[in-house]
Amino acid sequence: MVSASMELPPAGAPSGDGWSEALLAALAAEELAAPLDAAGPLAAVRRRGFEGLRQRPLPSRREEAWRFTDLGALRAVRPRRLVTSGADPAAHWPAPAAGSLRLRLDGAADPLAGQSLPQGLEALTDTDLEQALGQTLAATGCREHWPVSLNKASAARVLGLRVRGEVAPLLELVSDTATAEGVLALRVLLLLEPGASLRLLQVHRAAGASLTSVVVEARLGEGSRLEQGVLAQGADAAVLLGHLAVSQAPGSEYQLASVSGGWGLSRLEPRVVQLAGEAITRLRGLQQVDGRRIADTHSQVMFAGPEGRLDQLHKVVADGAGRSVFNGAVRVPRAAQRTDAAQLSRSLLLSERARVDTKPELEIVADDVRCAHGATVSRLRQDELFYLQSRGIGADLAARLLLRGYCEEVLRELPGAAALWHPLDTFPAPGAPAR
Amino acid sequence: MSSAVGDLVSQPYKYGFVTEIETDKIAKGLSEDVVRLISAKKQEPDFLLQFRLRAYRQWLRMREPDWAALGHPPIEYQEIIYYAAPRAQEKKQSLDEVDPRLLETFDKLGIPLSEQKRLTNVAVDAVFDSVSIATTYKEKLAEHGVIFCSISEAVREHPELIKRYLGTVVPSNDNFFAALNSAVFSDGSFVFIPRGVECPMELSTYFRINSGDTGQFERTLIVAEEGASVSYLEGCTAPMFDTNQLHAAVVELVTLDDASIKYSTVQNWYAGDEHGVGGIYNFVTKRGQCRGARSRISWTQVETGSAITWKYPSCVLLGADSVGEFYSVALTNNRQQADTGTKMVHVGPRTRSTIVSKGISAGHSANSYRGLVQIGPQAVGARNYSQCDSMLIGDQAAANTYPYIRCQQPEASIEHEASTSRISADQLFYLQSRGIGFEQAVSMMVSGFCRDVFNQLPMEFAAEADKLLSLKLEGSVG
Amino acid sequence: MIRPDAPVLLEIRDLHACVEEQPILRGVSLTLRAGEIHAVMGRNGSGKSTLSKLLAGHPAYRVTGGSVLYRGEDLLALAPEERARAGLFLGFQYPIEIPGVSNLEFLRVATNARRVARGEEELDTFAFEDLVRERLRLVQMDAAFLDRSVNEGFSGGEKKRNEILQMALLEPVVAILDETDSGLDIDALRTVSAGVNHLAGPDNATLLITHYQRLLDEITPDFVHVMAAGRILRTAGKELALELEERGYDWVDEELAALERIPAEVG
Repeated sequence: MVSASMELPPAGAPSGDGWSEALLAALAAEELAAPLDAAGPLAAVRRRGFEGLRQRPLPSRREEAWRFTDLGALRAVRPRRLVTSGADPAAHWPAPAAGSLRLRLDGAADPLAGQSLPQGLEALTDTDLEQALGQTLAATGCREHWPVSLNKASAARVLGLRVRGEVAPLLELVSDTATAEGVLALRVLLLLEPGASLRLLQVHRAAGASLTSVVVEARLGEGSRLEQGVLAQGADAAVLLGHLAVSQAPGSEYQLASVSGGWGLSRLEPRVVQLAGEAITRLRGLQQVDGRRIADTHSQVMFAGPEGRLDQLHKVVADGAGRSVFNGAVRVPRAAQRTDAAQLSRSLLLSERARVDTKPELEIVADDVRCAHGATVSRLRQDELFYLQSRGIGADLAARLLLRGYCEEVLRELPGAAALWHPLDTFPAPGAPAR
Repeated sequence: MSSAVGDLVSQPYKYGFVTEIETDKIAKGLSEDVVRLISAKKQEPDFLLQFRLRAYRQWLRMREPDWAALGHPPIEYQEIIYYAAPRAQEKKQSLDEVDPRLLETFDKLGIPLSEQKRLTNVAVDAVFDSVSIATTYKEKLAEHGVIFCSISEAVREHPELIKRYLGTVVPSNDNFFAALNSAVFSDGSFVFIPRGVECPMELSTYFRINSGDTGQFERTLIVAEEGASVSYLEGCTAPMFDTNQLHAAVVELVTLDDASIKYSTVQNWYAGDEHGVGGIYNFVTKRGQCRGARSRISWTQVETGSAITWKYPSCVLLGADSVGEFYSVALTNNRQQADTGTKMVHVGPRTRSTIVSKGISAGHSANSYRGLVQIGPQAVGARNYSQCDSMLIGDQAAANTYPYIRCQQPEASIEHEASTSRISADQLFYLQSRGIGFEQAVSMMVSGFCRDVFNQLPMEFAAEADKLLSLKLEGSVG
Repeated sequence: MIRPDAPVLLEIRDLHACVEEQPILRGVSLTLRAGEIHAVMGRNGSGKSTLSKLLAGHPAYRVTGGSVLYRGEDLLALAPEERARAGLFLGFQYPIEIPGVSNLEFLRVATNARRVARGEEELDTFAFEDLVRERLRLVQMDAAFLDRSVNEGFSGGEKKRNEILQMALLEPVVAILDETDSGLDIDALRTVSAGVNHLAGPDNATLLITHYQRLLDEITPDFVHVMAAGRILRTAGKELALELEERGYDWVDEELAALERIPAEVG
């Protein structure tokens, strides 16, 4: 188009965006003080991250993908690596469920130190990492995304695991910035060998002015299966930016259940590519906003081959003056004949000041496909409320019961051990009814 | 199967002829002087000249929008001629004085204008290269107080109405193409239905592009006062040229309390050839404002032509309990690109809107539905229902759906549904096994797919639209 | 009604066919004379549904050998719609839903296509409505079905009635009814069967494809053929159906196994 290049800054010029620059300066200073491993698999990644941040300013509201996402909360986070202080947040964590392996991600310590991995899991070698890091980001078209560059520049560690066969325990990855301030960057790479299967629960918590940046790459071999739960419990000053990049070989199954609430700003970007189709993708999302919080989910599912399946449900609860954004892209190119994709977005709007923006994007260039999508925005159903009230349940309680039922559809898709983290507490409003 | 269906949708354009007629053209290019010249040629009052100049200055500061899923070489705005009219284009007192070649042109297009042959119960304003050449049934309409004339005539005869309404629905700086239109618009139709009048007949404007290097910038304004109602239809054709012509029209609708306007379009501009050479670039801003309580605006469009369609007929629902509707069929074939849809902006309480969009993509074409449903904080009890269905013919065509939803009102309900389908081999075989030929079977299924929309067209034109679609689907099958 | 001198309407000779390179029919021969009712029975996968679709011209099947003559003409050379216009009718096992296309319009277009082929006048909307209302009674269908889309949202029984309604309108010379009894309760079965019996006459022939005896309690066949592995294994009178009902299809396997062995031994 005529005007495409008119607004880009000249190549190599500083972005003029204070926050990124301050972060870059802080990271560089830290590196001087305590040099990170210059030869490790992350060195090149870090370099590219620096470059990316230098060249690309903070996303602007003028960009379609960021049109509704105000980064004010991000700018209020101190642009430096997270410095932990005070009491160990882990003291407040529930004990791991029986049969689950909990790894703590704090961005600094090796999460595998002192752990014996269960059968089927093994740590990736540096060579593996060098080879595979970034591949799935590229395959899902988000290698250059700003939150990814930010993660690359800031992440000092990567947790890399190879999965073979069926891994019995639930793998639990927990991060908790508590009241600490700064940027916590977490990077995870999972390689599922053909036929492997893994259940994963990520828990991300924050209580202070911190940014939790998460980049997870998962490569699913033929016939493998990954069940991923993400439970993100934040606070007003806290920001979460997460990219979940997944590539699926034929015959694989991927299920994601993500539940987030409480963050001043959260943005999750599940990005899935079915490399040769014939895979099953199931996405379940629930985000809650109230106060002045913003929750944003940008998902993309790309079918690069025939006979892929997608079943996506995204739910929103918007209260107070909260803002919810959902952008769900489904791309079905010509190679993806006989794709069967369904996407449903449901939003509950509970307050006069809350706001919901929903934008499904279906791009289809194949004639033998079934693609359906639907979206609804509504408040609680009056007839349902009335029905409960007519059975003697007070209006408030009735509303909370209905809300809980509404959320349950996604909550029940989290791995069972998630219950220990009280996922319902993620949402102040629809908590358990008072007795 | 699909390749056979693909063959079906490739058929020659039937309105591609050029009428040989002398035209009064100004030099190509756009400047403030050109804007003044257009206004002077049309002997316009000063308020309109000022309106044009303001729009022109706004346009200079604006950029062509690039968010639609469309691609085309840059439009050279200085290479376009901004004013062309059949010579001696003075509006004639009687049809006898209209150049017979023009009458013949409209005869060939199936829109006879002469007393003997003209359509009964449909008043037609015939616009040739952006200039209105004849309006039928004017007197009969005047008896009811209905004004139906070209917008140039309205500027002279009813300046107070033009002053009151022009640019109030689509402000001159609304978007790049609306600003351009506001600066250089040539002609178009004006309809005014006074309080309490139900317009006694269908009104229709037929737009004919004839010239190859002239931009087309019509302006249409329809006002329905309290309790008034009207049904209006617009038809469009153009000759085949291997260059692209820019068509940037603006349509404004206003309904006051309890008024209703039904606006239907059957668009069949030249779409370019199978390689994408030539065809109309159609960048159109259509918007209606339901200003009054309980008023209603309904858009129905059947889009089959144009190389590029960029068009979002919209409703701003201000009045309490007002209703907006959008029914659309968009057929694209060969290298056509359409990015079309609607905006339903709910401002007033209990406003309701319905969107039904049917996209059919064949060949290498791209057909995008882009819609916005916006429910503002005051729109208590607002409701929207949207349905977008795509039908793909062949595996080279693209169907995209971008339904934006923005809601700020908890006492509102929004429902959106979308599906993608094709003509299945089993359905075809079933119809064939009952003795129905391949071609007719395809045509029946495409019509069936569009039925919800055709049902909304005025009776006189529903069959027409069905025929047009069948024409587009006509071809030779063994 | 068997009349040895009655004209042959459909003659299938040593028909071989495959779908996606998979042989499905392996030498079927069958002759239908005017006035006859034939029943083809067999298990799922025996090829009986393939035979019916192939005769109607379904594009998924490829004929690899043999011939089919319809009133002496090469049926296989005709497009599906030409076969229908010439008087061949297939009642579908699973009638197809076509959203948006009105059932009434569909019936009218189909009926007129057949009428034109027979050299008759096309019926206008009014004349057709009269005709369709009269034929509706035959299948005890509510006229409300005419205003709906073709088969869309119809129950199983309603779809089958709609098939017989089409048969009543098209007045076929050869009617092939593929598993018309499947999914019908006993009342619907009786209604549908009564329709078929009413339409069967001395000048046309009917080919019933079925799995069960119960349809044959309602429509008495003149011949029963048992199909297996793409061939007709045995042909007899209506008593064969009763035998099948009693003995099941197991004997078919034995007979088939014996048959399959022969070429190997010979070769």
